[in-house]
Order: sequence, then C-alpha cells, then structure tokens
Amino acid sequence: MKSVKGWMRNFLYPTAFAAGFLVLWEAAVRFFHVPVYLLPAPSAVAAELDAQLWRHTLVTLTEASVGFVLANLLGFLAAVIFVHARPIERGAFPLAIALKTTPLVALAPLLVVWLGTGYASKVVASMLICFFPILVNSVRGLKAIEHEAWELFATYEGSKWDIFWKLRLPASLPYVMSALKISSSLAVVGAIVGEFVGANKGLGYVVLVSSYHLETPAMFSAILASAACGLSLFWLLSFLEKKLVFWQRVDEV
Amino acid sequence: MRPALVRETREDRPAAVRLRNCSLSFGGVPVLKNVSLDVYRNEFVSILGPSGCGKSTLLRLMLGLVRPEGGGTIDFAGKSPRLGIVFQKPVLMPWLTALQNVELTLSLGENKRKWPKRARREKAEEALRLVGLQDFRRHYPHQLSGGMQQRVAIARALATDPEILLLDEPFSALDELNREKLNLELLRLWENPRTSLSTVVMVTHSIPESVLMSDRVLVMSPRPAEVTAVVPVPLKRPRETGMEKDPAFYHTVGELRKRVRQP
Repeated sequence: MKSVKGWMRNFLYPTAFAAGFLVLWEAAVRFFHVPVYLLPAPSAVAAELDAQLWRHTLVTLTEASVGFVLANLLGFLAAVIFVHARPIERGAFPLAIALKTTPLVALAPLLVVWLGTGYASKVVASMLICFFPILVNSVRGLKAIEHEAWELFATYEGSKWDIFWKLRLPASLPYVMSALKISSSLAVVGAIVGEFVGANKGLGYVVLVSSYHLETPAMFSAILASAACGLSLFWLLSFLEKKLVFWQRVDEV
Repeated sequence: MRPALVRETREDRPAAVRLRNCSLSFGGVPVLKNVSLDVYRNEFVSILGPSGCGKSTLLRLMLGLVRPEGGGTIDFAGKSPRLGIVFQKPVLMPWLTALQNVELTLSLGENKRKWPKRARREKAEEALRLVGLQDFRRHYPHQLSGGMQQRVAIARALATDPEILLLDEPFSALDELNREKLNLELLRLWENPRTSLSTVVMVTHSIPESVLMSDRVLVMSPRPAEVTAVVPVPLKRPRETGMEKDPAFYHTVGELRKRVRQP
C-alpha cells in the first residue's frame, strides 16, 4: 500500500502534471494561432526529435561527461593536497576563487583560440565550471571529522595513511556526492557555452544555428535535449548517492 | 604512627598509572594545576568534578594525546600498557557495521602487526559477544539505539585487550534506565576473567554513579582543576542494584557532595 502511494507521488503525479501542461500548451498555440517562430506547439517540437538531434545530443553529453569526470578527479585530488598541506591551501585557494568568479562565458572564446573548435575546448569549459564545487566540498568533507574520531585513531597509532583511507575518505563521501550532484547539470552548461563560441556540432550549435534561421521548433528540441542531458546525469548521481552514502537518510523523512 | 604506616603501604602498592605534578593550559588558560594521582592495579577509580573542569583532559594526558607542562610526569607500570578508551559519544564510523567498527582499532598501528586478519575478526566477534550484541554484528550504527551504539564502543575498547580502560563520561548521553543497566554491565565485564581488564579510570559528574562503581573517588576542583580529595568507597564487591540503600552508600554520597564545589 505504502509503496503504491510512493510510486504515485514520485512518478504518477509529476507525469500527470507534465502531460496536462503539454495539452494546455498545444491547445493554447492552436487556439490563439501563435506563429511557429515565436512558440511552436509541442507536436511541432516532437517532429524535430530525430536521429540528427540524437547525434548532437551524444556530442554534448560526451563533452559534458568527460569534462565532469576529469574536473571531479582533479578537484578531489587538489582537495586532498590542500588538506594535507596548509601553505598550498592558503596560496592556491584565492586562485581557485578567482577562477570561479570569472564568468565562463568570458573565458570560452579564449578556450576556442587555444584549443580549437573541437572537443577539447568544450571539455575544458565543462571542467572549469565543475571544478569549484568539488574542490570546496571535498576540502570541507575531508576535514569533517569528529575530534574524538581523530583521538581514537591517535590512541591506536593509526598512520596518516590509515586516517586518510579509513576516516577522511569515507567521511568526505556525503560532501563529494552533493558536489557531484550540483556539477552534473553545470557540466552540460559548460559544454553548451563552449559550443556557442565555436563548434559545428552539439546542442549549443543547434540552438545557435536554428536561432539564426528562426527555426524555433528545432531550437526547442535542442533546449529540451540539453535539459534531458542535465536531468539524466543528475538522476544517475542521485541514485549513486543513495547507494554510496547509505548512512545518511535524513532528507527522506 | 599508624596513619603514616598505612600511607606508606599505599605508596608501595604497584600503581598502574602514576601522575606527578601535571599542569596544563590551553591558550594561556590554566586547565590542570599540579595534579598528582595514583591509580592502582585491579582498581576502579572515578574522577568526579563539575562539568568543564578538565577531567577529560586528565584522560587525554594518560592517552598521550596531550603532554604535561614543566616537569609533570606520567608513568605506567610496565613499559607500555594497552589502553582502551570510551568517549562520551560512541564515535562509531557510520559506514562500517558494528563488527567492522570493533575491528577498526584492531587494524591500526601495533595491533595490525600483532593479529592477522582472521584473528582480528574473531577478537571482534568475541568482544561483541561480551557486550551482548553478537546478533547485531551486521547492523550499521544508524540501525542501533544509543545504548547499543555505546555498547559497540565498549566492545571496540575491549577488543584490543586493554589492561587499563579509560572512560570519559561514557553513559552521560543515555537515559537513566539505560545508564544504570550499562553501569552494572560494565562492572560485570571488569570482573569477568575473560577480559584482560585490570584498571578502570572513569570520568563522571554523577556522584551516585561514582560511588556505585568505584573503589576510590578522586574529587577535582573547578578550573584550574586539582585533586582536592580522595574518598574511598566502603562497599563490598560485587556491586549490585539495591546497594543504594546501604548506609555506607549514602554516607559516601553525602561525603562527596560536601567536597564537590560547583564553579
């Protein structure tokens, strides 16, 4: 009984609301004769969802995923170094903040100049936007250790290695996972910004080109696909979080 | 003549832990002032004092986590006796099961070299059996009650075969009923020949608890803390529920109440 209720809450209600919204949208466009270049009806957008769009989606998804994985690996590694070497943290943290506060949109053209219009510039754009959340959260997570846990390890002569693998690393997992959730959707933003500046494929390219030609249904389809990319990455990570950080179930109450 | 003689024999008894002139301050604030004390073998000693007076710091001195200032010494009988510690909070790793939590300290430092993996598992299982949690070994801390979590912490301390067990207000976060139950359980473990436990030092701010549990109670003053009185408890072992009605019990409680000064 309870699981049926849960299924309704999590799946049926959102689907019903989305369906209702689409029906209203379709009806409104037809009824008011809204020109297609301003607001295409859902049916017109659906007609654009073809193999071509799927190929562009895969391009963007690849750029975003590669950037996401690389940035998180590097960011976590940097956090580990920061936590073990205070001078490096003091020196490099302001640089990281400066990097974070520089708008990615302002940097993207430079990336294209340096790295060309291929995958590399988009991967790096994606990395730049994902780097900060993982860095900050990992530093916090790696330091989030009860004082007594520290004393416990000291009493039993745990080595630095023990403290890292058996205490810091697992303790940081909740923080790391929430950073991954945040940056999963940001990764897609980074890839699309990179594509805006210089590309011949990907969803950002589709949005830009269709805007030049006022092909609004195509534009909508690309926007839809980019939202789907971000959403599926987010869902994947939420699922992983539940599996990995099983001991933190506070938010489910 | 007589009191001097008694005092001498006391001095001659082998002290398991001996602190001499231990002073300590944190950031210019004096916490301990010239603390000297002896804890003997096969003795249960409570350290009683107001909250925040530096009682826990005393345990941290014994653990070697902080060092005394200016000539204070801490000596143990035997070169380096095995110490066990139970904190006020259980301090369990939430990502490890009860059994893995007990195994954790067995797989650190000296202990790791001493016992192979199989032996560590067996020791951890034995320790959980001693605290009555053998059926919960696969449970994670968030699936256990507060009292059970603290029992896992006790099992973890016992698993390494400590000779000296240090307890830092171990049951103060528990409700009264659980607390009483675990106090007696702890005494039974201390008396149990299957544990290597000989000396217990318990920090507490509960007077009845200190009387029920200990052979002697050391009274500490508010900060900077010093030992202001040592009160022996004239109750026989084993201690049991109902001893609270013994005249000696409430006489000792009264005696301690007089000597504990609140800050």
